[in-house]
Amino acid sequence: MKPSAALALLGACVVAALVMAHPLSQTLLAGVLLVLLMQTPWRRARLFLLGIAVSSFGLFLIWPLTAHVGSHPLWNGPILPVLGSLDVTREELAAGAVQTLRLATVALAFALWALRLDQDRLVRETRLARRSVLIVALATRLIPTLERDAAGFVEALRGRGVEVEGLRGRSRLLAPLVASSLERALTLAESMEARGYGRPDRARVARARFSWRERTALAFSLLLIVSSLLWL
Amino acid sequence: MAVTGYPRPALAPGESISARIGCIERLAFSYPGSEAEALVDVSLELERGEVALVLGRSGSGKSTLLRSLAGLVPHFHGGRFSGSVTVAGLDTRRTAPAALAGTVATLFQDPEDQIVFDRVASEVSFGPENLGLQPGEVARRVASSLAAVGAEHLFDRSTRDLSGGELQRICLASALALEPQLLLLDEPTSQLDPEGAAAFLNLVGALARERGMAIVLSEQRPALPLEICDRVLFLEQGRLLLDTPRAQAIEWLEENAPAFVEPPKAASKQDGEPGEVVCELEGIGYAYQSGVPVLENVSLELCRGEIVALAGPNGCGKTTLAKLACGLLEAQEGRALCHGRSGYLSQDPGRYVVCERAEDEVALGIAGDLPRARSWLTELGLAGSERRHPRDLSSGERERLGLAAVLATEPDLLVLDEPTRGVDPERKRELGEMLRAGSEGRATLLVSHDLAFARSVADRVVALEGVRADA
Repeated sequence: MKPSAALALLGACVVAALVMAHPLSQTLLAGVLLVLLMQTPWRRARLFLLGIAVSSFGLFLIWPLTAHVGSHPLWNGPILPVLGSLDVTREELAAGAVQTLRLATVALAFALWALRLDQDRLVRETRLARRSVLIVALATRLIPTLERDAAGFVEALRGRGVEVEGLRGRSRLLAPLVASSLERALTLAESMEARGYGRPDRARVARARFSWRERTALAFSLLLIVSSLLWL
Repeated sequence: MAVTGYPRPALAPGESISARIGCIERLAFSYPGSEAEALVDVSLELERGEVALVLGRSGSGKSTLLRSLAGLVPHFHGGRFSGSVTVAGLDTRRTAPAALAGTVATLFQDPEDQIVFDRVASEVSFGPENLGLQPGEVARRVASSLAAVGAEHLFDRSTRDLSGGELQRICLASALALEPQLLLLDEPTSQLDPEGAAAFLNLVGALARERGMAIVLSEQRPALPLEICDRVLFLEQGRLLLDTPRAQAIEWLEENAPAFVEPPKAASKQDGEPGEVVCELEGIGYAYQSGVPVLENVSLELCRGEIVALAGPNGCGKTTLAKLACGLLEAQEGRALCHGRSGYLSQDPGRYVVCERAEDEVALGIAGDLPRARSWLTELGLAGSERRHPRDLSSGERERLGLAAVLATEPDLLVLDEPTRGVDPERKRELGEMLRAGSEGRATLLVSHDLAFARSVADRVVALEGVRADA
């Protein structure tokens, strides 16, 4: 799919997730995106799913504690400076669930964009903010590289009889992982420059015409935005 | 790999195939923050159609010399630069590396770190597109450079799914797609098996001859490149000690740096029977997530006091078997038993350092015993580096640090995965002697593409072929 058609779909999903009022519509949209995401190879999807699950669960936990709405208290906590009373009401839980669903839908849409879009085509065809697009594409590639490096660190340590266990053990790998990524990034930058990256006379890749599939995607994006604004 | 479909560069009227393509005059260079000079008063000329082999110990300035010809030194790295480097009439000090891209192409050591795109076709077309070529010309160059390295069949493949050898070929195709007059190859065969390395180097020789491009090649396994090169350069501590045709170079190397030309001498092997069995692998089968079996019905015994080398082509399962032997992987079929403690030195150990001081890195596996860690650093020639950050060490020093960290645990089974990758011949000899000296108290399994090294140090060599052991 052309990057512009995929971008339209992504934008429509994000807008719909933010403006949809009915929880059922939101659940349906999140469900469809989740099903599509599950169709990508598990090895690539699992990190995105883990990130979405952790951030969504975190929001669901924090929301009722920081919001102050509702008249049906389920739990009354202490009063803290700045935050005020830490109580949880039924209404806060419901609002938290809605916001969590919104966050999860937006994150799922971005995960699908990252996993399903032909990033090469995006970088090669983009004429606007090409450097930024390239950085995003390289960052997307970085996730599996980081995963592989992390496994390499764990293996190297196990090879010396050091087991990496628990959050504390894994957090110790964060700084070496960043250092390793920076080393890789430097080599990549050097290699790109040696291959002419940054020359002003770069060729423009010819863009193909919109196919019927891409036209349908554009129409569906428009329909999703309009219907979520008016009815959903 | 056949050399096909790639036109010779157009020569100007009256220009001969031996015309000078590069010239370095009195080049001196120091990296930022470093007192030591990486290159000292280096002068040389390069001609079209020749293959120049750069030899030298680790840290002697080989990679810096190549980077200076590509303009990456000083533009990308900064530092103090004096003298001049001219490539095809362009002064690299006044011409940015990107502007040199149509003239010079560089292939770096690790192919994984050079990949920008997901698809092979996009990766190879990246350079030509940066040059501003028309889409038709880009497509022609992509097709011809892939054909030149025998990788047309990989055109639509994802770069994520390629083996190390395939990636290396794609990186070479990406460099060739720039149709350079000067091709710089920095240890291009370090990850290839002997057959792959020979095919790669034969291709390089053919490219130089048929297309008239100059090729500068640095290598740590010099036997094969010495057969195809026209000329040898030898660097020591940044100084160019030798710049001479191949025949004279071999004589000079025999006299002054014999480790670079002589096959490693076989270290004194163990006499008599080996000790008790330390590791038993019986009927081992293993497949990764793809489900394709990597190992089927492999059996191997490792005894105390013996060194066993595991050889075989890229992707035959050597590393998998090594990890199974030391318990990093669990066998899906068969039985893997290790009696005692095992230690595993991974490929590229210098990348996987986690502490901020070298001594802490070694002490990590021995319950923080710093005196013992320091003695192992001294043993590995790293005395004086105890408090340095591991990432400030040179690549060779980092490899040795990784080895020290594993040896310090005094394992009953020591598994070394490609320990000679990027290691110069003299260091290899030292490593071989060290492994033999300490071999009595343990069983050692050595995974290596470097057959000469493996034969010199091991009591027996086990060949893995495809998915079946041929032990």
